[in-house]
Amino acid sequence: MPDRQTRRWIILALASAAFIALIASTGVWEASLRFLFPQESQVLHPRASLLTLVVEHLGLVGISSSLTILIGVPLGIWVTCPGGRNFLPIVTDLTSFGQTFPPVAVLALAVPMLGFGLVPTVVALFLYGLLPVVRNTIAGLRAVPPHLLDAAYGMGMGRFQALFRVEIPLAARVILAGIRISVIINIGTAMIGAAIGAGGLGSPIIAGLVQDNLAYIIEGAVPAAILAVLADQLLANVEGSFAYMPEEATR
Amino acid sequence: MIKLEQVTKKYGATVAVNGLSLEVNEGEVCVLIGPSGCGKTTTLRMINRLIEPTSGRILVNGKDTSQVKPEQLRRSIGYAIQSVGLFPHLTVATNIATVPELLHWDKTRIARRVEELLTLVGLSPAEYAGKYPSQLSGGEAQRIGVARALAADPPILLMDEPFGAVDPLTRERLQAQFVAIQQELKKTVILVTHDLDEAIRLADLIAIMAAGKLVQYDTPETTLSRPASKFVHDFVGSDRALKRLSRISVESFIKSAPTVTINASIKQAEAAIGSRRSAWVVDDKGQLLGWIDRTDLSQVSSISEGMVTLESKDIALWQNATLREALSRMLGQGFKSIPVVDEDTKLIGEVTLGDVEAATAEAEE
Repeated sequence: MPDRQTRRWIILALASAAFIALIASTGVWEASLRFLFPQESQVLHPRASLLTLVVEHLGLVGISSSLTILIGVPLGIWVTCPGGRNFLPIVTDLTSFGQTFPPVAVLALAVPMLGFGLVPTVVALFLYGLLPVVRNTIAGLRAVPPHLLDAAYGMGMGRFQALFRVEIPLAARVILAGIRISVIINIGTAMIGAAIGAGGLGSPIIAGLVQDNLAYIIEGAVPAAILAVLADQLLANVEGSFAYMPEEATR
Repeated sequence: MIKLEQVTKKYGATVAVNGLSLEVNEGEVCVLIGPSGCGKTTTLRMINRLIEPTSGRILVNGKDTSQVKPEQLRRSIGYAIQSVGLFPHLTVATNIATVPELLHWDKTRIARRVEELLTLVGLSPAEYAGKYPSQLSGGEAQRIGVARALAADPPILLMDEPFGAVDPLTRERLQAQFVAIQQELKKTVILVTHDLDEAIRLADLIAIMAAGKLVQYDTPETTLSRPASKFVHDFVGSDRALKRLSRISVESFIKSAPTVTINASIKQAEAAIGSRRSAWVVDDKGQLLGWIDRTDLSQVSSISEGMVTLESKDIALWQNATLREALSRMLGQGFKSIPVVDEDTKLIGEVTLGDVEAATAEAEE
């Protein structure tokens, strides 16, 4: 009997395989949507196959979330270090501002400067997803008990050794929780990319809204919802594997 | 080994440590003690440069510590703290291996050292190496903390209330273990505590601090018998004579005691007791069984009939116990003399109230 953690990975792998099989089988989609909406002349968005749309969507999310993580986590670490502590208020204010500012508005401002397509969408998604990552990185690092740092430095660890051997491992779960929130938000928000030609699962939804075709909207919304659930589970599993206390691992 | 020269630490206008000079020789245990806020922890943390002194010099092995890289300095100085500070995400073995890993020891050497240290602090390597700190009791965690401080075999050990966070019984056991380990390893130790009994028990030298200054630096015996000032006098308390007793081992006070074996005749017993009131009864292997009163001898036909049985663990003292424990047993049991046994609970003699009184009187001088 595999342990709970392994079981969760197996279930996730099976669910992902089922999801890929489902979006690849255009026939099934066409048949079921035609059955649900017999009045529509066309039930699948003609721009691209569903598989292509999902890949585009994942590309948008992948690029913007990677940027968010690659910039957000070091930023959070930096402002909790003695060297960057002065920038803490500025960084928290700016990231909060990034999230309060609606991504659609970012798009509207970005298009004149960056043009249409992938780049402005990635910028908007990156800014929008930064807050939970930075916030959680700061919170996670601040929650590391001071006496552990005292012990780390007292035994002769340098700043980076203390950071990588003690602080980050102890803050990992909180940081990962922030990344998880950011990615999930991102999967939903990436829909807006279609409005400026970045493609993704937003395309059939926007087309469906414009042409008043409910089948298109479902074609975009259902895979996006499943994608969000799968991503959430994936990151939950990663988070779970960082459970360093044995009683937490078995919980 | 460790020398502080006119060390001062100021925080703004507050002076935490004021012109402190102190010298600790190799293999000695120096205990820093004083009321809270006296600067003892600050002093300790200046030695491994967790705190930088405002002025003054600290020499370790004749070398000015300000000339050594802090990380390098700290890896050569063991550090154990009250909160233990074991890393919760690492196993006991990895925790102990912290400094050896920083020093890039090879894996087999580290593994061997971890096993050695766990055995040294009295924990089974097989059982404990893979445990996480959350699975340890307070006492076990403290012992792992000490093991971790000793990992790279540093010549110097800094300890900040290392036995502070445990119950009194566990503390006593840890202190006894510390004394035993120290006898074997002979480290140069600076230990901070606020517990005078702990200081008296562990220290070769006690440094009493008040308001950032050293007010007396002497052996426990001298500190107790000749307090340098009213402050020290009040600090060590009116029961300092009693405290002094806990520095004195019963070993040098053991006298041969009247002893009869359990299967001796009444006549032999009478001869053994002589003019004394009673004698200890032992079995043929010399293990303590009880005692018998002279006045009872005439009324009984065998020793076992008239003997008062004792649980030797309740009354007898180990040969390495202190006079304070002896006195405490005497008062507790209402006995004027207490049997002393060796490790195999064999009777080796007794300690009398008269000896304790004499030792107390000497301390009072």
